[in-house]
Amino acid sequence: MSTKILGIESTAHTAGVGIITSEGNILSNQRSVYIPEEGEGIHPREAANHHSEELPKLVKKALEEANLSPIDISLVSYARGPGLGPCLRTGATAARAFAYSNEIPLLGVNHCVAHLEIGLLEGANDPVLLYLSGANTQVIAYAAGRYRVFGETIDIGIGNGLDKFAREAGMGFPGGPKLEKIAEGDELIDLPYSVKGMDLAFSGLMTAAKQKLDSGYSLGKLAYSVQETAFAMSCEVSERALAHTGKTELVLGGGVACNSRLREMAMTMANERGVKCFVPERALCVDNGVMIAWLGHQMMNADYQITEEDNIVNQRYRTDMVEVTWR
Amino acid sequence: MKFRGAEAIVETIEWNDQKVVSKTRNKRGYRHPVLEKKLVKERLRSESRIIERLISYGVNVPAIYSVDISNNCIIMEFIEGITLEKALRGNDFEKCLSKTAQLLSLIHSFNIVHGDPTTSNFMVNEDVYAIDFGLSTVSDDDEDRASDLRVFLESLDSHHSEISGRNIFLSHYSKWSSSAPVLESLKVLELRGRYNLMRG
Repeated sequence: MSTKILGIESTAHTAGVGIITSEGNILSNQRSVYIPEEGEGIHPREAANHHSEELPKLVKKALEEANLSPIDISLVSYARGPGLGPCLRTGATAARAFAYSNEIPLLGVNHCVAHLEIGLLEGANDPVLLYLSGANTQVIAYAAGRYRVFGETIDIGIGNGLDKFAREAGMGFPGGPKLEKIAEGDELIDLPYSVKGMDLAFSGLMTAAKQKLDSGYSLGKLAYSVQETAFAMSCEVSERALAHTGKTELVLGGGVACNSRLREMAMTMANERGVKCFVPERALCVDNGVMIAWLGHQMMNADYQITEEDNIVNQRYRTDMVEVTWR
Repeated sequence: MKFRGAEAIVETIEWNDQKVVSKTRNKRGYRHPVLEKKLVKERLRSESRIIERLISYGVNVPAIYSVDISNNCIIMEFIEGITLEKALRGNDFEKCLSKTAQLLSLIHSFNIVHGDPTTSNFMVNEDVYAIDFGLSTVSDDDEDRASDLRVFLESLDSHHSEISGRNIFLSHYSKWSSSAPVLESLKVLELRGRYNLMRG
């Protein structure tokens, strides 16, 4: 029997509500993004205030778009981490309120794992996930009962790095897409390329880019070079993970995976290597409620037993803490 | 044998009547040509120099027979055996881990960091050999050494989760007289790398 699952996402900037059927049909994907003041970064409490105002509206909109009433929903799932504490608690509260008032089961899930699982909906079976977002930069793959982190940033997330450089260059949030727009030319300015095994580091790259900007290099050319360097590093570590694990599928996820140049580079790498590359549509790469709903469904479909702990938010809920019982 | 690694094609070939390994760094189309050229040249050079240096100290690494800069190719000794990754699935994993720890500490003692010491970059026969110095650097920085340890432990955890190899490996690494600051660095690195939760 087809069931409908509602997912709530609120780990960082994005308040998202998604509804998906047990067959994987997306009925609604509502999002509202908190935009900080010009020249500032995310303020967790401000973001949480934004989410607490937006989430009830988004739930209503999603139900309307899907043409459902609350009693048609068989599971409410929400992202219990990793993320910013105030934002997570707001999402959890919204999820609880909706679930309890309509007597629907409630399940907290891992945000990073949701990014990977939504890639499986694209047709991948056992992929390496290159997960590039603001705070998270990880290369993830399944091994022995868990999604393991094979490589990750050892300092800042790639998106935060891009945003920071853009902010220092006078551009507002989100900086990544703005850098993509102004990137010009095909001339590479030399910047630090930092790969250690399957791990990456971005802070040196962004600092060097800022210094070059201050010393008079053109912003457009620097934006181009920053992208070329940071994305090549990301593709290299995912290729290393593919070589190391012997897997033959690559999935992209996270907000930075919306970048056209990154998508192009990842596909080139996959083609040269002879592996399949799955790139979810942009609305499913960024933070969204659909992926949260889908992961909740996958877990419950495999008779996952909800424990008390599943409904406590966890800011540091790492990818590899989740025991994968549904594969 | 032919293996497509992350940055090079590694194959066994006949060369002057002997079985050798050729490692050719082929072009990565996704990378900017300037960056590509720079990285390939840097890595080829540093790899051959570092291997030469370790050979001269008598460390278990494959000997280099020839370096062809124009074709981005290194010809080196073929090491008989299986990868550590496979060896760790057998009964000898404790012995393998202790020898690997000794080998890595020896490499570190000569101011070389491997850069990518995953379990697929060690070969095991009656002894353990380190291969693939493509990301190696000359460094006596304890944090770089700790980073090596972390890459190794991570590949151990992600691939051999059924074995609690971490303690075995670190206890043998700590036999090296200069290991204390490296292990301190490792603690700091793992905290920074947000690994504190996983390792307790």
